[in-house]
Amino acid sequence: MRPLLLAQSNPLGGLNLQFDPPVPWFSSWGPVFWSVLAGVPVTIILLYFLKLRRKPVQVPSTFLWRRSIEDLHVNSLFQRLRKNLLLFLQLLAVLLVLLALLGPQVKGSARVGQRFVIAVDNSASMSATDVRPTRLEEAKDRALALVDSMGSNDLAMVIAFSDAARVASTYTGNKAQLRERIAAIRPSRTGTSLREALQVAAGLANPSKQFGEGEVASEVQAPRLMIYTDGGFPDVEGFSLGNLVPEIVVLGRPSEGGSTAPDPSQAPAGAGANPSTPPSDNVAILALQTARNEEQPDLIQLFGRARNYRDEPVVTTARLYLHPIDRPIDAGRLIDAVELSIPAGSTRAFKFDLPDPGAVGLEVRLDVEDELDQDDRAFAAVGRPRSARVLVVTERNRYLLNALTTATAGDSAEVIEIRPPELEDDDVRRALVAGLYDLVVFDRVAPEEPPASNTLYLGVMPPGEAFETPEAVEAPIVLDWDIAHPMLQYIRDLPLVLIRNALVVEPPPGSTTLVESDKGPIAFISPREGYSDAVIGFSIYGEGDQLNTDWHTKLSFPVFLYNTLRFLGNVQEALGEEVHQPGLPVVLRADATADRVTIDPPEGPEVEVRRSDLGTFVFNGADEPGLYRVSWESADGENTNRSVFAVNLFDARESDLAPRGIPPEGVSGREAEPYLIKIGYTEVAGTRQSRPARLDRWWWVALGALGVVLFEWYIYNRRVYI
Amino acid sequence: MSTASPSSPLLDPEFLHKLEQLELVSRKIFVGRMKGERRSKRRGSSVEFADHRNYSVGDDLRHIDWNVYGRLDKLFLKLFLEEEDLHVYTLLDTSLSMDFGDPTKLRYGKQVAAALSFVGLVNHDRIVLDTFSSNLEVGLSSVRGRSQMWRVVQYLDQLRASGSSDLTSAARSFAIKHPGKGIVVVISDFMDKRGYEDALRYLMARNMDIYVVHVLSREEVEPEIVGDLRLIDCEDDDEAEITVSAPLLKRYKETLDAYVGGFREWCTRRGIAYIFTTNQAPFDKLILNYLRERGLVK
Repeated sequence: MRPLLLAQSNPLGGLNLQFDPPVPWFSSWGPVFWSVLAGVPVTIILLYFLKLRRKPVQVPSTFLWRRSIEDLHVNSLFQRLRKNLLLFLQLLAVLLVLLALLGPQVKGSARVGQRFVIAVDNSASMSATDVRPTRLEEAKDRALALVDSMGSNDLAMVIAFSDAARVASTYTGNKAQLRERIAAIRPSRTGTSLREALQVAAGLANPSKQFGEGEVASEVQAPRLMIYTDGGFPDVEGFSLGNLVPEIVVLGRPSEGGSTAPDPSQAPAGAGANPSTPPSDNVAILALQTARNEEQPDLIQLFGRARNYRDEPVVTTARLYLHPIDRPIDAGRLIDAVELSIPAGSTRAFKFDLPDPGAVGLEVRLDVEDELDQDDRAFAAVGRPRSARVLVVTERNRYLLNALTTATAGDSAEVIEIRPPELEDDDVRRALVAGLYDLVVFDRVAPEEPPASNTLYLGVMPPGEAFETPEAVEAPIVLDWDIAHPMLQYIRDLPLVLIRNALVVEPPPGSTTLVESDKGPIAFISPREGYSDAVIGFSIYGEGDQLNTDWHTKLSFPVFLYNTLRFLGNVQEALGEEVHQPGLPVVLRADATADRVTIDPPEGPEVEVRRSDLGTFVFNGADEPGLYRVSWESADGENTNRSVFAVNLFDARESDLAPRGIPPEGVSGREAEPYLIKIGYTEVAGTRQSRPARLDRWWWVALGALGVVLFEWYIYNRRVYI
Repeated sequence: MSTASPSSPLLDPEFLHKLEQLELVSRKIFVGRMKGERRSKRRGSSVEFADHRNYSVGDDLRHIDWNVYGRLDKLFLKLFLEEEDLHVYTLLDTSLSMDFGDPTKLRYGKQVAAALSFVGLVNHDRIVLDTFSSNLEVGLSSVRGRSQMWRVVQYLDQLRASGSSDLTSAARSFAIKHPGKGIVVVISDFMDKRGYEDALRYLMARNMDIYVVHVLSREEVEPEIVGDLRLIDCEDDDEAEITVSAPLLKRYKETLDAYVGGFREWCTRRGIAYIFTTNQAPFDKLILNYLRERGLVK
């Protein structure tokens, strides 16, 4: 199988030659240069044949000469070679010089060229300063050293990876480019995922993964995967390395002394710490969240958790800073502080109470000197409660109106009720087109034009081609519903709902079916130009104001409507927003009228984000932890609305600075396994030192040429013949 | 080729001087002996008694020793040493290959032949001079007496190198032509690719005393050629392409030594006197020392 593969993979049997001549083919004098060079061997051959006219000499007899060269003629092929030995040596020398001039680079050959995949971890923990200046700088230095030691035929690819992998440089032998790209790797503030890097590397290193059944297509040269990391990532499971040969260079201060044996009992729960973790010089905030005090709604509570990774107790102060959002985020105003005393290797919670400040950004700083600054700060955002404007078009559906105006729902929505004939009014039409409402509920009546807002249709189909031919079905039975959808949260009793008549249509492409019945989908939500249309195929009342269903008697009815208000009405949860992690996209909602928002990140210039097709604002630049100010124009264009969101990396693994991947001294065999980094089923022990790349230079070929010339000179002068 | 170019006469004063010295030497060697006589191993009818033997029927009654019969009453024959003329045959190679060297091997061979002939003539031997290249060429036959030396010189002087050498056929013709016994001196470079063995066997078959003078030029013994050469055999135009190098020269010398050594051993095993010389060795010394050592000159 193997020879076949080799034959398939490369006609040169694995020598994947490429040339990088110092004088390019197509430069101005390149053709002249190369044709002159190509003429050299031809000239030598011509000269040789001219010279080969042996001088005829008359001798008394060739008798003895014949006998003398007779035994030299035993191997005639060799004799022919020997006759032309000088010629061959000259040609060899010239060809070697030519080859050297061509700047050969051999890809994928163990003998000539090697491939490197240089993966540099630039995650948050790599900013730790236990190795001066930082771990990342050290990693870059190591990578640069590897690049420097690369032979001219070697190729390298550079991947910077944190929670995502980015190819900094594709395979190239251009060292200047590699150096530049490595030097340009910036520290990121995100978590670490080796899997990302491995997938990128494998994608490039294992070009075609599967050849036949279970046969991994092998390039002749397995690339060396050099991973410069501190080991702060989970084991990679279910990943096949293929022909990647990983080599993990672990950076960071080695654990000192007779390091602690793994003792799970000592590891505090919830810290996510590796039981075998040795102490590291870091104190980190691992969580921060705001919540409204249940008893006193005007009181905001700020909960946080800090962990001490040192092997000694630490006493520090957590200071709370307030950042108003009507001006750019700055140092903030100190408004509170608590003292924290955290025992060695354990976690302590802290709490701030503050009166509701409206929409502000909050920051907690730990007053401590340690090796990683990033996790000494944490941010939280307090939003301003905002109510949705909802228009309900219904013929006195009191169940619907009641459910939309419960106390809870009323907090988050302002509901306006109109009758179907009022749809014809100019004021209403203008308001609908202008998008003054966040949500319009159509109960058994459809508008001629879809409004510029999210909509909910009950017992009627929206306007549009896709909904023109609904099928009326009787007594559908609810079979299934999408419990993962936000509109169907907490809804359990749908199978108990009796329905008399319903409209069923094949949802248009891109729709999400919400409720499936035995007659077809009776509820779905479909996108429309940045808005969403939710369609329920039945309403409370049917023909002749007869009850069409008993849904209104079930608990799920008000819950569904409340969910709808929150989801389609863009009602933001004012407090305790979801945690945004650095590097992940942030989905924002703003007023229905705004088509763009401006985001002011903690670092860098302001960014403008347009409304996406789904009606949301997706911000991809939240790479730095901190407070991001969001501003947009209000509907009347006079005021500027502002909001803020916080980005934090609450990652215990990143905050834990102890390098992983190297078993302590004296630990081997199975005991060392917890220390090793597992990739798939492969356990990889890290190293402190990276082996330099094999040194081979183009001028070896040139030296060879010189050697051949010298050898020829010797042979010519000494008339040494075999 | 200043003094001894092929065209310069063989009979130059220096050569004559050396011949005269040889004559003196010869006289010294042969002093007190009858000239023109040479005892033969054959029993014959000379006056010198050799032995008795029993009479058998058919013997010549004239040779019966009657004194012995009277005393012993038995018939004995008196045996006498037979006296005969000694034939000294000289077989000189005149092929083209002999026309090399300074002096040429041919000239050297002529000098040796002349000197041997001179010695022979002084001793009243019969001198027969034959040459050969591709065939035996009949030369001077049966000259005798010192006065005939000029003929020898004249004959040798007019010899020119030509043709390729075929020692075997020449030796066969020679053996047929000269059934008699005597001494045969073969002067050649023995560069015959067909070998020398058959030729010498023909001569041995005639029960002759064979002396082989193997003449090589200095260039053959110590080649002084360099470079990439195409060697052309002057006789058969055979070509050998060589690139001269130290190992090749070494190998050539080994080959030459092996050839000479093998030749010498072959001759020694068969009672043939083998004398190797180059054209640089003075021919008179060759005559005096080498030939004396080998018994050609007593």
